[in-house]
Amino acid sequence: MHAGPDPTAPSLESSASSGGADGVVDPAFRGALSDAVALYRHMVTLRLVSARMVDLQRSEKVAFHASCIGEEAVIAAAALAARPNDWIFPGVREWGAALVRGFPIADYMHHAFGSRTDAAKGHSPPDHPPARAYRVGPASGIAGAHLPQAVGAAWAAKIKKEDVATIAIFGEGATSSGDFHNAVNFAGVFKPAVVFVCRNDHREAFASTRERALAYGVASATVDGTDALEVLTVVRAALARAAEGKGATLIEAITHPIGAGSPALAKIHTDAWSRGGAELLSLGTEAHADPIARLRRVLEREKLLESGADEAIAKDVRAAIDAAVADAERAGPPATSTLFDDVYAEVPAHLRAQKESSPWRR
Amino acid sequence: MAQMNLVQAINDALRVEMKRDDRVVVMGEDVGRVGGVFRVTAGLWDEFGDDRVIDTPLSEGGILGTAIGMALYGLVPIPEIQFSDFIFPGYDQIVSELAKMRWRSGGEYAANMVIRTPVGGGIRGGLYHSQSPESLFIHVAGLKVVCPSNPHDAKGLLLASIRDPDPVLFFEPKRIYRAARGEVPEGDYTVDLSKAAVVREARPGHGKSKGGDRAVTILAWGAMLYEAIAAADQAAEQGIECEIVDLRTLWPLDLETITNSVKKTGRVIVVHEAPKTCGFGAELVALVNEHCFTSLEAPPVRVTGFDTPFPYTLEMDYLPLAHRILPAIVETARF
Repeated sequence: MHAGPDPTAPSLESSASSGGADGVVDPAFRGALSDAVALYRHMVTLRLVSARMVDLQRSEKVAFHASCIGEEAVIAAAALAARPNDWIFPGVREWGAALVRGFPIADYMHHAFGSRTDAAKGHSPPDHPPARAYRVGPASGIAGAHLPQAVGAAWAAKIKKEDVATIAIFGEGATSSGDFHNAVNFAGVFKPAVVFVCRNDHREAFASTRERALAYGVASATVDGTDALEVLTVVRAALARAAEGKGATLIEAITHPIGAGSPALAKIHTDAWSRGGAELLSLGTEAHADPIARLRRVLEREKLLESGADEAIAKDVRAAIDAAVADAERAGPPATSTLFDDVYAEVPAHLRAQKESSPWRR
Repeated sequence: MAQMNLVQAINDALRVEMKRDDRVVVMGEDVGRVGGVFRVTAGLWDEFGDDRVIDTPLSEGGILGTAIGMALYGLVPIPEIQFSDFIFPGYDQIVSELAKMRWRSGGEYAANMVIRTPVGGGIRGGLYHSQSPESLFIHVAGLKVVCPSNPHDAKGLLLASIRDPDPVLFFEPKRIYRAARGEVPEGDYTVDLSKAAVVREARPGHGKSKGGDRAVTILAWGAMLYEAIAAADQAAEQGIECEIVDLRTLWPLDLETITNSVKKTGRVIVVHEAPKTCGFGAELVALVNEHCFTSLEAPPVRVTGFDTPFPYTLEMDYLPLAHRILPAIVETARF
């Protein structure tokens, strides 16, 4: 990574890395090793949930899914870096942040199916998990709309003199939005404790995120978004800096999507799932490592996992997903009357009249 | 009781609530040291300081987006949009985010906040300082929309809006910011949201009877209320009684007060500054037709701004002032 323009910004050697071909971890990131097993489990969870959702969408069981395949290191590490009282503001593709924070896979699937057990009552499409109890902010269908909200929440914590930071995660497409400008500009002016984590998988042409940070007067860093230990280390450094009152950091994490449009797509099939899913955890190409395989090499070299333990993790996660899908399919849709819930705190007269006067399908 | 104008009453409401509830913060362009372009927030920065009276960069999307984040965290922000004409750079944060926050999360998240903004024409402001965009917000599920016409209501409605759990658009009719004066109680009181006020009752014996003296219901709010009253005074000289309803809260609507009056008079005129087509008058007329059809003695009439942008030079020809309301009253009464 590179240091930002602010001399107090987190600074690490640009050549540092972990989990290359030999699984060696640079000293700069060894501090993250104590979380490596947890990180691995979260990344496997995100991968397998996303692969299953791709299937469910293809079979039209769910209408929508924002795949995070290839992006798990950034999402899981950024969410895991957060301290217990910190808030995470994800975009739609970062639904996995809620799972890392403890939102159960079962609840995720009820939400994806819009079932009667979905806390959002089927109001939102998949990947907008209602996870307030886990201090995860509401995802929006408008790319970038959550960014000024993340700044506002961190700003509110600052006004209330509470040691709480927010982490906003988003794809580089959102950096072209007006909301991105507003968010980083306000962060530069008011210096709330906010960390922007931008997944840059080069889907869109865009100006250098770090050069933008320079213009807004916030610290910045570029990290390898397939190196989970690097992401964890740098996001934590940015949070520590924010907690000292030094303001926002914009972190650009370079990733390589393995989902739609990539050659590895063919591997993500129902057959792969029915064969046990092991091949879903090694989707890398010669040019681009799979972040999960990369972290697995670290775990093996550091002897943090006993032989076969990684397969046990995948099996556990798979079983949880299978159970969650079955349960969500069985639950059925919410009652028709819930359509009118939560528009306002109380149902006003005009909505009550519409609710009471409509002939329903069933 | 103190005599106040609209500006002073709103300022007083903000001060009362900021003293009572330390979650309340005021933010916007020049609301701090300057005290707002219309002086509505004057003195608050001196009293409550930087953290609670915040001068922001010039970006409505940034103001509203960060205000929503503050509200999610548990503050009660009151962002000021300097003119309601400037609200559109922040429209997406209102429509896509603020209005839908509670619904899209099944009630987990709510953003309790009030967006204050001056509305309406008659101040030689031209097309970017004069518009009345209320119907664009009434159409969006999840928002409440308020527009007071006098200092007493302005203070009480603002205090009620701040304490309401839903997001409120609080439109302040800037043409009468200083012209509307009246007694305002000291300290804390609220005026209920979604309660209209009958500000002028048709005298007994006046109603829809074709034999007796006829009466007309006029629905108005904000600055145009006074034009309706002026027109009603002139109509009275011709023997036509007007019952005038000040809606106060535009949405959710106090439909009962409206239908009670229209059932009595059998005639209704809606007055508003916004353009006619798809203006709030269209919805009001539709509701009257749905609920009072058999009581009607004449077609409902809208006296409104024209379907043009808001003019600079000819604004007094554009606005639905008393000289345009009076003929509508006479025609409706004689129908």
